[in-house]
Amino acid sequence: MSEPPRFAEWLLRRLVGGRDADAVAGDLRETLEARGGGRLWYWRQAVSCMAVRFSLYRRSLPGIGTDFSRALRRIRRNPGYALTAVLCLALALGVNTTLFSFLDSRYFRRLPVPGADRIVSISRERASFCTSRQYFAIRNSLHTINAAAVMDSGDPLELGRLGLSAWVESVSPNYPEVLGLGTVLGRWFGQDSASAAEPPVVISYRFWKTRFGGDPEVLGKQIRIVDKFHWVVGVAPAQFAGTIPPMVIDLWVPLRAPGGRATVNLVARLAPGATLANAAAEIRVIAARLRASDPRNDELASPPLVEPHMGFVWRFQRNFFLPVLTLLSAVSGIVLLIACVNVANLLLSRAAVRQREMAVRQSLGASRARLFRETLAEGLVLAAGGLALGIFLGYWTGRTIELVLPSVPYAMYRGLRLGIDWRVAMFLAAAGALCAVLFSLPPAFANSRGNLSPSMKGVDARNSRQREIYSVAQVALSLTLLIATGLLLRALDRVQHIDPGFAYDHRAYISLRDEAQNPTLFSTLLDQARQIPGVEGATAAWGVFPNTGGGCAAVAHGEKSRDLISNLVDPSYFDLMRIPIVKGSGFAPSGSFTNAPQVIVNEAMARAFWPGQDPLGKRLWFGPECTSDGKEAIGTVIGVARDAKLQSLGEQPEPLYYLSRFEDRGNGFYSLIVRTTGDPREWVQPLVSLVERNGGNVRIYKSGTLDAAVAESLWEVKWQASLLGAIGLLAIVLASIGVYGVVACAVAQRTREIGVRMALGAVPLDVQWMVLAHGLRITAIGIAVGLLLSAFTVRLLRGFLYGLSPFDPVAFAGASLAWIVIAIFASWYPARRATRVDPMTALNYE
Amino acid sequence: MSATYLGEFEQIVLLAVLRLGEKAYGVPIRAEIENRAGRKVTVGALYGTLDRLEAKGLVHSWFADATAQRGGRSKRYFKLLPAGVEALSGSKAVFDRMWEGLHV
Repeated sequence: MSEPPRFAEWLLRRLVGGRDADAVAGDLRETLEARGGGRLWYWRQAVSCMAVRFSLYRRSLPGIGTDFSRALRRIRRNPGYALTAVLCLALALGVNTTLFSFLDSRYFRRLPVPGADRIVSISRERASFCTSRQYFAIRNSLHTINAAAVMDSGDPLELGRLGLSAWVESVSPNYPEVLGLGTVLGRWFGQDSASAAEPPVVISYRFWKTRFGGDPEVLGKQIRIVDKFHWVVGVAPAQFAGTIPPMVIDLWVPLRAPGGRATVNLVARLAPGATLANAAAEIRVIAARLRASDPRNDELASPPLVEPHMGFVWRFQRNFFLPVLTLLSAVSGIVLLIACVNVANLLLSRAAVRQREMAVRQSLGASRARLFRETLAEGLVLAAGGLALGIFLGYWTGRTIELVLPSVPYAMYRGLRLGIDWRVAMFLAAAGALCAVLFSLPPAFANSRGNLSPSMKGVDARNSRQREIYSVAQVALSLTLLIATGLLLRALDRVQHIDPGFAYDHRAYISLRDEAQNPTLFSTLLDQARQIPGVEGATAAWGVFPNTGGGCAAVAHGEKSRDLISNLVDPSYFDLMRIPIVKGSGFAPSGSFTNAPQVIVNEAMARAFWPGQDPLGKRLWFGPECTSDGKEAIGTVIGVARDAKLQSLGEQPEPLYYLSRFEDRGNGFYSLIVRTTGDPREWVQPLVSLVERNGGNVRIYKSGTLDAAVAESLWEVKWQASLLGAIGLLAIVLASIGVYGVVACAVAQRTREIGVRMALGAVPLDVQWMVLAHGLRITAIGIAVGLLLSAFTVRLLRGFLYGLSPFDPVAFAGASLAWIVIAIFASWYPARRATRVDPMTALNYE
Repeated sequence: MSATYLGEFEQIVLLAVLRLGEKAYGVPIRAEIENRAGRKVTVGALYGTLDRLEAKGLVHSWFADATAQRGGRSKRYFKLLPAGVEALSGSKAVFDRMWEGLHV
């Protein structure tokens, strides 16, 4: 007698399942015995059964149309509950839409040009790819790519008058050809343009609309960029905003012909048939050649990056936002979870109402799978509704944010596109489907429960217990969000009261660059600035909050230099900025350029370089890479200045050294800072006129007041706190709907009991308290769980808190208290309704 | 009532079930098809078709209690429902009309 192969039989039982598998296995065994063996035959038959089991037909679920039409009919009959569910989902999905379109624009979106998937960007980790001279030398030898050079201005450039500025890309003549760009009006500049007497400029569509009012006669008009007139020759296509998103480029000018050490990155189109790997290999060879030709240039040591042109080009920006985005994703994920729990609760309470119907149908022969599928179909319909409305909400939120963005102080945010493309749509569809499954499973199980008798009798405690647990989870999750928001708000409050370590009130500044590097110019400007009526003092410094300069130094000759922050200041700087010299003395009021400069260090540097020692008189070695003239220098520490904030109010003190502007050449960049008697804003214009009177070679980069600069540095944390606050608020609204729903449903189910109590003489206040206590009990457990949960999760916030402890008791207590108040309100209405129950109606109920 | 369209294999399976009457379960159905139509049928294909016919309401199936034979596995028996008989005779009528007057 031949035995069937065990494993095949086991598989059959596993994959086909149920009595079907049993019957099939029996048939196979019987036939096997009859034909007297044949393992191979058995396997073939078993596999055919499994194949049929997983075939499309079996999976396409016959009768699926009926499931959906029934679901729709049920929703039509109770539009109220469906509307609530759809709204909850839409709010949560809307938040996720906006957030994901933000992520999309930052990491995945391609340039709006034809064949954008063939565009690659070529740069380096910490430097530009090459100089423009090198670009012009290599560009004709490239085989795998057609590359255009792009030099961004780094900062917006002044357009003639102060206060008008624009982002400019200097590009090689093949730029439009590489990107496949046309124009709306006019043409792009050609090969001859760079040296032309009338340098051309192409303006962006946005610039054309806003600055020229869409004037069709714009061609041939002049634009003064910094100090040079350019003639408008064309208007770029409407969607195109340059190759360094999120920066929105306004103007394109020709890259000056082979000259100078201006550095460029490349944007290139892969040649037909070439792949990214081909291009990367070719660029590596070119980079090695460049490095060999200029071995002293450290910038060329950084390895070249050849990447598809996607999202934001600057790597540091992509990395910079990672923590914030992770936080936001987590938060909006939690909101979505809360919404799902809400809908699950709603469906469960519907299931409670319909449990007798379900039990009756089941006893009449409806299969459990059938009831399960019907509930799932209902969930899918609700999710589809929520998704449609959610995308709509998300779209308009995105549009609204886009409208607000231009007023944001950071250029990085201004060019954000929050539109919805297929990636966003796909993500949301997936999120919606996941939600549907998440929130339909519990009610589906409830509806298809095997044991019928409690349902038939109309008493089933399991269902309401399950809903209470969900409600607890909601309270816990939203409490976590509320605590996180509270922490961020507290951190904001704290950071606003941080002492920056320098005086910033009544101080205006203007940032300049003297291209001729005339050593006496800034002395003249300072003298004249001091003569302006209302100016009580003036000083000059290389770096003004929040801009800093780099530097490096070693404690002993031959040791490796440490990267540091440096500032080149006028001797009057410490007095005017109210940064006390805590030890030693300040700089002498004059001096000459030397390779033995006097140095003032801050306390952090004194601690880091000479721990436990007196820093005065100590030596600092500046290697050639650390000085502005490329020669070695040995400095002597003559004083220690108190630590002051350099880049943000939240930072820890960092080592910094000061040099006197009389002893170091610098690179022509200086900011004039004046102390004023009145509102410093009124002294900005006089400073501008002063500079304009004095120099043909002076560029104005920026002007403003120090208190505005300090306030601007807080914008980031305000933005984070308010965004998280908004999402947290949404979570609270959703969760309080949840608590309300559970308490209200419990009241409805206990109508009879309440009626009996009232008939037996219970006072309305007792009944009210009973209902209220139910809501509060759920909330109390939720708060306990939420506090525990928060204790783990708030650690993730540490990087955002500016030194505030993540276990800040005020935030924890405040959030818990807020939830108790919310719970009282959410339970109040059902409690009131409970006391209105008429005992007679209640007893006749059902 | 709209006529139910039957594929060729479906007709063969239904006819086999009809021929076997009380004894129609997996093994004899396959044997009947093999003997009469000369077709080798896998168990998967047969049960797939029978499931489909049941879903269309043409056959009815039930599980008989397990016996000591065939490793204690139960048998799944099939029976034609009136709709199945009707569908079969409808199909036959179609072929009869198409063949009428033809000699090949």
